[in-house]
Amino acid sequence: MNNEKTQRGLIMDRMSKRFAKVTALNAVTLTIKPGEIHGLIGENGAGKSTLIKILAGVYQADGGTASLDGVPIPLGKPAAIEAMGIRVIHQELNLIPHFTVAESVFLGQETTRSGGLLNRKSMRAAAQKFFLETWQINLNPDSLISQLSLAERKLVQIARALIDGAAKLVVFDEPTAPLEVHEASLVSDAILRLKQQGIAILYISHYLNEIASLCDAGTVLRNGEVVGYPDRATLQDTDAVIRMMVGRDIDKLFATREHSHIVTGNETPLLSVRALNDGQQLKDIHFSVRRGEIVGVAGLLGAGRDVLIDTLYGLHKAASGEIAIEGKVSRIRSPRQAIRAGMALVPRDRRHQGLVLPFSAADNINLASLPANATLGWEHRGRALDKARHWIERLSIRPAYPLIPVRHMSGGNQQKVILARWLGTDARLFILDEPTLGVDIGARSDIYECTRQLTEQGRSVLVSSSDATELLGLCDRILVMWRGALIADLPTAGLTLDMLLATINGGQEQAQ
Amino acid sequence: MSSEIQNLGARRLRVLFEKIPLILFVGLLVWLSIQSPYFLSWENISRMLLQSVPLAILSFGLVCVIAAGGDDVVSGGIDLSLPAIAVFGVAILSLGLMEWQLSWPLLLLAVVIASLLCGGINALLVLIAGLPPLLATLSTSVAFTGITELLTGQRRISVNSPLMVDFRDGSLLGIPYALLYLALVFIAFQVLLHHSRFGQHLQAVGGGKDMAQMSGLNVPRLTLASWLIAAIAAALAVMPLLAQGSGSSSGTATPLLMEMVLATFLGGAFSRRRVVTIWGALLGAVLVNALSNGLALLGVNIFWMGAIKGVLILVVLAASALQHKGKS
Repeated sequence: MNNEKTQRGLIMDRMSKRFAKVTALNAVTLTIKPGEIHGLIGENGAGKSTLIKILAGVYQADGGTASLDGVPIPLGKPAAIEAMGIRVIHQELNLIPHFTVAESVFLGQETTRSGGLLNRKSMRAAAQKFFLETWQINLNPDSLISQLSLAERKLVQIARALIDGAAKLVVFDEPTAPLEVHEASLVSDAILRLKQQGIAILYISHYLNEIASLCDAGTVLRNGEVVGYPDRATLQDTDAVIRMMVGRDIDKLFATREHSHIVTGNETPLLSVRALNDGQQLKDIHFSVRRGEIVGVAGLLGAGRDVLIDTLYGLHKAASGEIAIEGKVSRIRSPRQAIRAGMALVPRDRRHQGLVLPFSAADNINLASLPANATLGWEHRGRALDKARHWIERLSIRPAYPLIPVRHMSGGNQQKVILARWLGTDARLFILDEPTLGVDIGARSDIYECTRQLTEQGRSVLVSSSDATELLGLCDRILVMWRGALIADLPTAGLTLDMLLATINGGQEQAQ
Repeated sequence: MSSEIQNLGARRLRVLFEKIPLILFVGLLVWLSIQSPYFLSWENISRMLLQSVPLAILSFGLVCVIAAGGDDVVSGGIDLSLPAIAVFGVAILSLGLMEWQLSWPLLLLAVVIASLLCGGINALLVLIAGLPPLLATLSTSVAFTGITELLTGQRRISVNSPLMVDFRDGSLLGIPYALLYLALVFIAFQVLLHHSRFGQHLQAVGGGKDMAQMSGLNVPRLTLASWLIAAIAAALAVMPLLAQGSGSSSGTATPLLMEMVLATFLGGAFSRRRVVTIWGALLGAVLVNALSNGLALLGVNIFWMGAIKGVLILVVLAASALQHKGKS
């Protein structure tokens, strides 16, 4: 024990953290040696973010101790933790677009002359030297952040944390998430070089191929507990890592789909997308959705799911390619045109994009079908109210009062209100973006039930979700995206969660 | 490949659009100098420079508020009450000298305190009550003007204090005092905003409040400071404004307000980063005055002048808003 305490590097010993009744971390122990890149692996909600926040001083731990090079870490004190040389590179860039590289690197830690004036010359020289010496990259310190690529911006963010030369432990939270393949490799190369300086690195990523190529060791978390410490050799075996992440018990949670309502026959698909590009993120997307089919879109953060949905719904401009609805090519440049073409979107940010919060449930339900309830612009309130009551009953929306403002409803019920709105229209393709984000388990099954009912009338559903279990249980087919490209189209019959996760996290194409 | 070319074309078009106000301005000035040979005479140029002193100083204040509040024309930082604060200060000075028979130091102190109070009220409305700066300062502008008129009874108060006459007419080595004063104020603001840590932090807050917060800056304190600095700028504009009018007269604030906004946003077009700067505001103020001066030389109807400036403000603000849209 004593021997371990004086060991160099990071030691987190039996860290625990509870939120109300939920245990986020349970006696998690983690060690990182100087010059080691240590991968922190786990599904969403496994406790990775909680651990980072404890390490950054944002949360106070309920139990456990931590030390760096034998010195206890003052948990819960962000400034003192930073002074010790612990730096967190957040997922968000936190850079100001109209600042120069040098200004961004030195923001909050400016070099000044004796008179208190900024010493721009020395900051420029120091920034340029840092990039050259650390990464052999010649970046003009006077370039504006807005002129840089995303990978270069990430490097500026890293430089900001390391420029004072005092960093001993650097935490990277999903550093490559929004990047394309070659940009991502630029960033991971840059991280690899830091290791040679003897800095201990904690690397958090969903991209298991990156973990395999970068990390010397890893810790796998599941439900707030450590389930394994894979070494470098084990990390190379993506399937083994996924088995650790997911565990065996999870397959039972979700019964796979028994019967589907796909209209078979050689008919034209309801939606077909061909060679869709947006000139930035989306690369040559091809797929189609048949009548009565539920198709899932899976992918890691930054894989392009959001952009694809936005492009289909006219919120994001496509550069080339075509979108055809029932064989008819449509140019969709606004949500209004998308709705005309027969689409309906249930957005991920339902509080801001999906609902008029101070309005009643009835008004929100009838929002998309106003003309049907009105004569010459005059709304028949009685007819509208009856319609709302009908949907509230059918989807068991609680509380079951049509006049209550939706602001007072729970997330799951708000989601049902949005579904009810579109059920009442003649939309043929429903796009659900993260339909159960922040929705409790009970309401989830209601939403799944609604989604299935949608397809009974030959309508189709496209579900984008970060929850692989949900997609597996709900969909007939799952499309997997990887850094802007569609890499797999997997029928769910016979598909296991391990196989799906291997495709989502590992990026390898599945043989069909 | 073709999309890259398209993007490049679109970017060039946007840069061109950003430059439209500048091109329009320079074009107008060239036209004016052709129309009226007197326009570019040394005498007229020095007169134009003198005329721009109060406007330039007010614009420096506005630059500080915009730098810390962000340059979104609607939701970003803006302080429309600066001219009203300055005119309020002019009234205090004039009344104090001519009617209350108070001493200069006491009056200058009163002007500074009154300005800081006004700036503090603005900051309170924006930071505590959460009003959009545009709305908050529009309201306080009306209120401050109201208080001024209450004090003066809308009379004109002529001032003949020797100190003011000196400031107005005197010169050192052939350079008028007022221009030397402007040079000093300019250097002070230039250093504060563009060469100090504090200025760097102010601009970071304007670039993104969340980002500044994450970088460990004290965002509320910096925002408050920007409002108070703007109020100081208004106080600094009091003396040249008093000298320009040889006293206090009602209705001075309104034309200054629009000219200040025009000069400040026009200045943004000079900067590589497309943000408002102290330098840009100085150039903007001189250009705006040159325009008024040139049109007056040509004998253009004063109502037409209002219409022309109004259109220019629209173009400048539209260019700024469009550029903002391009950024996000």
